[in-house]
Amino acid sequence: MTRILKATMTGMAFAALAVAAEAGGTLRLDEVAVGELDPALATDYADSMLMFNVYDTLVLPRQGGPGHVPHLAESWEGSGTSFTFSLRSDVSFQSGNPLTADDVVFSYERMVGLGRGLSYLFGLVESVEAVDGDTVRFNLSQPYAPFVASLVRLPIVDKKLVMENLGEGEGDMKDWGKAFLSANGAGTGAYAVKSHNPQEETVMVRNDNYFLGISEKAPDTVRLRYGLEAATVRTLLAQGEHDISSQWIPPEVKKALADDGMQLLTESGTGAFYFKLNTTRPPLDDVNCRKALAKSFDYASVLKLIAITDNVSGGSASTGAIPVGMFGANPAGQNLARDIEAARSHLAQCKYDPAEFTVEISWIAEVPLEERLALLMQANLAEVGIKSSIKKVPWALFTEMVSKPENTPNVSQIFVTAVTGDPDTLLYGMYHSSAAGTWQSPEYLSDTEVDAHLEAGRTGASEADRQEAYAALNTRLMEVTASIYGFDRQSVFAANPRIKVPALSDPAKAFGLDGMGFSFRLIEME
Amino acid sequence: MKRAAAIVLSNPMSLAGVILIALVVSSAVFADLVAPFPSHRGAVVDFANFNQPPSWPNIMGTDLVGRDLFSRILYAYRISLILGIVVLLLAVPAGVVVGLAAGYIGGRTRFILMRTTDVFLSIPPLVLAMSIMGVLEPTLANGMMAVTAMWWPWYSRLVFNITLAEKEEGYVLAAELIGASRIHVMFREILPNCFPAIITKMTLDLGFVILIASSLSFLGLGVQPPTPDLGSMVAQGASYLPDSWWLTVFPGLAILVAVFGFNLLGDALRDVLGGDQ
Repeated sequence: MTRILKATMTGMAFAALAVAAEAGGTLRLDEVAVGELDPALATDYADSMLMFNVYDTLVLPRQGGPGHVPHLAESWEGSGTSFTFSLRSDVSFQSGNPLTADDVVFSYERMVGLGRGLSYLFGLVESVEAVDGDTVRFNLSQPYAPFVASLVRLPIVDKKLVMENLGEGEGDMKDWGKAFLSANGAGTGAYAVKSHNPQEETVMVRNDNYFLGISEKAPDTVRLRYGLEAATVRTLLAQGEHDISSQWIPPEVKKALADDGMQLLTESGTGAFYFKLNTTRPPLDDVNCRKALAKSFDYASVLKLIAITDNVSGGSASTGAIPVGMFGANPAGQNLARDIEAARSHLAQCKYDPAEFTVEISWIAEVPLEERLALLMQANLAEVGIKSSIKKVPWALFTEMVSKPENTPNVSQIFVTAVTGDPDTLLYGMYHSSAAGTWQSPEYLSDTEVDAHLEAGRTGASEADRQEAYAALNTRLMEVTASIYGFDRQSVFAANPRIKVPALSDPAKAFGLDGMGFSFRLIEME
Repeated sequence: MKRAAAIVLSNPMSLAGVILIALVVSSAVFADLVAPFPSHRGAVVDFANFNQPPSWPNIMGTDLVGRDLFSRILYAYRISLILGIVVLLLAVPAGVVVGLAAGYIGGRTRFILMRTTDVFLSIPPLVLAMSIMGVLEPTLANGMMAVTAMWWPWYSRLVFNITLAEKEEGYVLAAELIGASRIHVMFREILPNCFPAIITKMTLDLGFVILIASSLSFLGLGVQPPTPDLGSMVAQGASYLPDSWWLTVFPGLAILVAVFGFNLLGDALRDVLGGDQ
């Protein structure tokens, strides 16, 4: 059977060569639906891919190291509560309109005015003012250490174009151009939107007037398709009719593709996989029951499960509450490990009798890997005498369920990443008591010590201060055990070897920001 | 009985049906004895041995968490058969009573009962079952309820049509003339004459009920893990095609064998009982 399939595949691969040669300048990728094109509503991976290519930001993460470099800004100065940016004078939007300080002010106001997506990142910004045509100042209500980092989530939109295309709505700004921007691009980015259907496909073409210029080798056209089945992606890639898979296909499929000669691209260092424990409902409102779960879990088996080849894996061992490499993380090597004896003794101290409760473990229907992690957890818990049930929940339903603690499952499985690369954007949204009840925070954790460390981390004046605050936070989070830290996540993409993506294959070129590796202008087609 | 055996033996397809179903039923009943890894029906994981192609002792390979597929398919048959039988035991009597009453009593009763039946028949079966399962918790019991809700109308239609024809027959008129009650005529006179058709349809339907239940669990609305279920096995394996083909091919074949077997058996019974569809 395998032989027949392999033979068919090889036949397909020959047919593929011809197709690949023809495709030339078209880069073909896929992601999970829906692709949200409006940059002020962008949150997930597909949205970020669109945003980072159609729009630009004042700063970019430094490739291969910490910190940020100027991008639309020529330079910036300031610290504490005031930051001033000088804009480049050679930038124009895809519409031809020149970039001005007004566009930056408008982009901020639009983001906050709509109040959706990642607008919460700018909650501490009090005002943004255009000092002159190409200087803009941000005033903060209190010091916010990751402020510059958060600017990678403030895409600059073309004010003039948006104002010409306002849709129906109340107030002066009507719909803030939402209808227009959900179907059209209005950025300075290296790629312009040619067509966009959020459920099916976005086609983008190279912007030859891009202010940094674009290499000849970069793709002329990019087709980003949504919602392809793993088996479809696998076949298309083998046939040479697809170039880069999404990260969501199962590890076995990536391995099969690697065996067929595909390369594996990786992006890491910004997030982790969590089992989030609802701390408000019995039996997990008792810290000893939570610890019993955490100690029962077989961390080593997970690593086997997510391994793809000998050298590439979907993640690495977790060492604590903060992913390795971030402020406050424990060093690599101090891996969390299973300890059945400890689990039993915690369970004995728990005020609930394991004979009388069943732990509900949910998994997100769109991520097949999580079903297996749920089964692993179920088997692990059974060994120490805890009963559990497994529940499949579609993502849309899950985000609804977690808005009330009584509807939130005992155990939820979630991948979370730092949306700006800074630990504040990973941890604050998960653990601060004011942020409870989102898909990132189904723990409903309310712990004054955790809150204090989180505040100290985001206001810390120096890196040493922040390091100290996050290290203390790490310790405290392990004590309260609101989550089980499954593994530090690495995103893996299978790709045709003729595509070169330095930002996803060379650590010295990596951005350390989810989705930015897919800056199409830096991709080389051969 | 001899005649029945002769009819079945003379038709190779009928014989095949009998053999297939004997196989399915015995693997379900004797799963505990036959399955090489009986514990794999439950919460077991073995990540040293997951996603392995068929080999000894896992003759159908292992699934994504290292459980023996062959063992799980045997246990899945058990669940499927239980589900099929329970659904038919609930749906058939309900449908039969409605059909008999509507057909025999007629008038307003007929109008109300048969229009209600039509309403149920007008909703696509899978959509109806999905909406029921969407509102309720996805469990085995609710799954049975959902499938039952969509199944009974077919029996009321069938029995209704037979009743309409039978009630004009001489034996019915004779019973009425000597003053038999309505209940007597319906259940003692007409019903026995519906049996061949009902039994044939039940046998055919057992396969389709298994298929619908598999469709529901394929969509994630059926039996919940770790309980083995053919539909969810196919669904789980679909993302891993074509490399891990055993994950979908064997559970798929298992569904095929059961549905095909019950179909052949149904045809054989029709020949034996002389009922017609």
